[in-house]
Amino acid sequence: MSVAEGLDQAAVAPSAAASGTATGLASGPAYRPKPFSTRLFRSEMTLIGGRRRNQMGLLVLAAMPIIMAIATKLTASDHRRGGDLMSSMTTNGLFVPLAAFMVEMTMFLPLAIAMLSGDSIAGEANLGTLRYLLTVPVSRTRLLAVKFASLCAGAFWGVLTVAIPGAIIGIALFGFGPMPTLSGSTLSAGEAVGRLVLVCLYLTAGLSALAAVGLFISTLTEQPIGASVAVMIVTIVSWILVGVPQLSWLHPWLLVDHWMAFQEFLRDPIAWDAPLAGLRLFALYAVVFWTLAWARFSGKDVTS
Amino acid sequence: MSIFTTRPWTRWAVPTAAVALVAAGSVAVSSTATADPTLPPMTPAELLVAVQQARPAGLSGTVVQTSDLGLPSLTLPGMSSGRGSAELSGTITGTHTWRVWLSGPSKARLALLGQGGESDIVRDGKDIWVWSSSSKEATHYLVPETMKHPTSLGDLGALPGKTGMPSATGAPAASVARGAAGAPGATPLPTTPQEAADKLLAMVDPSTEVTVPGTTTVAGRAAYQLVLTPRAKESLVASVRLAVDAETKVPLRVQVMSTRIATPAFEVGFTAVDFGVPDAQTFAFTPPAGTTVTEGKTPMTGDQPADKGANSMVPGELPGKATPPGSGIASAKPKFVGTGWATVVIVKGEPMTGSSPDGESSGQGKAPDSMTSMLQQLPTTSGAWGTGRVLEGTIFTAVLADDGRVAIGAVPADRLYAALAAGS
Repeated sequence: MSVAEGLDQAAVAPSAAASGTATGLASGPAYRPKPFSTRLFRSEMTLIGGRRRNQMGLLVLAAMPIIMAIATKLTASDHRRGGDLMSSMTTNGLFVPLAAFMVEMTMFLPLAIAMLSGDSIAGEANLGTLRYLLTVPVSRTRLLAVKFASLCAGAFWGVLTVAIPGAIIGIALFGFGPMPTLSGSTLSAGEAVGRLVLVCLYLTAGLSALAAVGLFISTLTEQPIGASVAVMIVTIVSWILVGVPQLSWLHPWLLVDHWMAFQEFLRDPIAWDAPLAGLRLFALYAVVFWTLAWARFSGKDVTS
Repeated sequence: MSIFTTRPWTRWAVPTAAVALVAAGSVAVSSTATADPTLPPMTPAELLVAVQQARPAGLSGTVVQTSDLGLPSLTLPGMSSGRGSAELSGTITGTHTWRVWLSGPSKARLALLGQGGESDIVRDGKDIWVWSSSSKEATHYLVPETMKHPTSLGDLGALPGKTGMPSATGAPAASVARGAAGAPGATPLPTTPQEAADKLLAMVDPSTEVTVPGTTTVAGRAAYQLVLTPRAKESLVASVRLAVDAETKVPLRVQVMSTRIATPAFEVGFTAVDFGVPDAQTFAFTPPAGTTVTEGKTPMTGDQPADKGANSMVPGELPGKATPPGSGIASAKPKFVGTGWATVVIVKGEPMTGSSPDGESSGQGKAPDSMTSMLQQLPTTSGAWGTGRVLEGTIFTAVLADDGRVAIGAVPADRLYAALAAGS
């Protein structure tokens, strides 16, 4: 988010100059554009949030932790199965969103990002609204920055849609209190919530990096479905590559390999090595693919 | 802005530059890491003295352990994938990451990081806790009186299983001494570190060449390399390389090189290390609610049951000798054939009946079954000594004869056959 806002501010100067000439005809005191306006961002968020398909997607995201929690509650006798996070669900409600992340980061959350990011430019081009969007006094660079910022916000939204319903159903079914860590220590309830927030922020960063890839792909085509499918292919191929031990030299450079590092936040003290390596790669992906999208989009002929 | 509008293709230079910058950065990091630092020269004896006098007030760091022992690892469930398992018993193969904390002589914590799991060994004064997150089990041990004051850093806080080490010269040297002389405890105790180092060097000299050929960088710190090269030509161990931090003289890395592969057969070393004293809270362990807590037997003799995991992680312990795959057969008195690095150990056990003689069941309930199935996948072999199965690793070979004898040594298989034939 902060990266995108920085870009946003950097991009504001040329667009402000442009808008000054465009609206300078207005009577009265000379129009002074605000140095920083969130209007385009807000409009973008309204578009994302208002789309029925996105709302349905959020429902699916929220349903997973609820299904998992209820299934675990009903079969509490064999809670030893299915990995550490799954088996810990019965001990503390906050493990429900964490276990849900384990499941959803493989497919559903990247799918949500693929939908959003594929739509971002290609969707507008497909509907024919891109050229109208470009007539407003906003530079293409700024438009791209706002698009990316809204995708980051969308990623956070998606992560919270897993975390909050998951936490509510988990606390309702399994209670809330001190949380055991993987290291065998116990966190107070407040610390446990803090760890969950850290996990949410980390996963948001990870998904935002994927959104940058999607934004770039979205500038290459006018078919949003094509862009979304391409992002999913990137994700699935990455998961397959991560499963091939002979390619271990490549793994540190794959986004998905770093997503599961969110479990490092459940150690005591937090093992920062893996999440920090992840954050570095996420930032690299965001910068490289956003600038790729910028190189492609700001020189592109918009014909639809 | 202007160049980007007049020459639109120049925009592509921006992402290209970003990628190039990162690539150049990672190349620069790896090339500076390989440049050997310049340090004042030290003799092996001086280095050994310095190592045994090293007393860091505390340290914390990340240790990565890589084993390529040539074991048929894929047949062991949960032990195969790179960083999958957080079970202590799974550390024989693959790559594992540990977090290490030390504070003074009596506080230590080791955490084995697995994918979504963790096993911890915490020592705080006289209490030792062994914790496994996957089984949610904690085992409590009390430190016996004799090991309350460990003298060497090489003992890494005197873990269970590392107790009977009489020498104060660090674990790797002690292992060598044991291999070379058989019973180092019989020698009179040296009075000064210098004397101890000299004695040790004299003792290992017939079998091992000890040199300090140069320096290296481990975890971003300048370090001396102490290299032990077996004089026995038939040894599978090409050399044992110990990297000692130049400033604190703490061993930072141990590599066991094999004559069969170019990369280390076994390596354990810091990837990050900090010599600050960790917070005392790090060493406090209280089993969380819902944990199965068992009171362990004091691991005085160091052979059962905590030895299982502890042996393979202490730097310098030769893993092949420490935890051979047939470690369950440990009841009979071993017989030694040959000397030095070419020593062959023959243990007389029960004839192979298919079921593992491993009686204890502490947490890793699956181990005997998978061990049996692993043994059955080993190639069969026969000779003048009888028939059996052979396991050819990178730094050791084991022959499991059908009559129950097990021969293990850091030598090729034909030496084991010869030893078995001579013994029968």
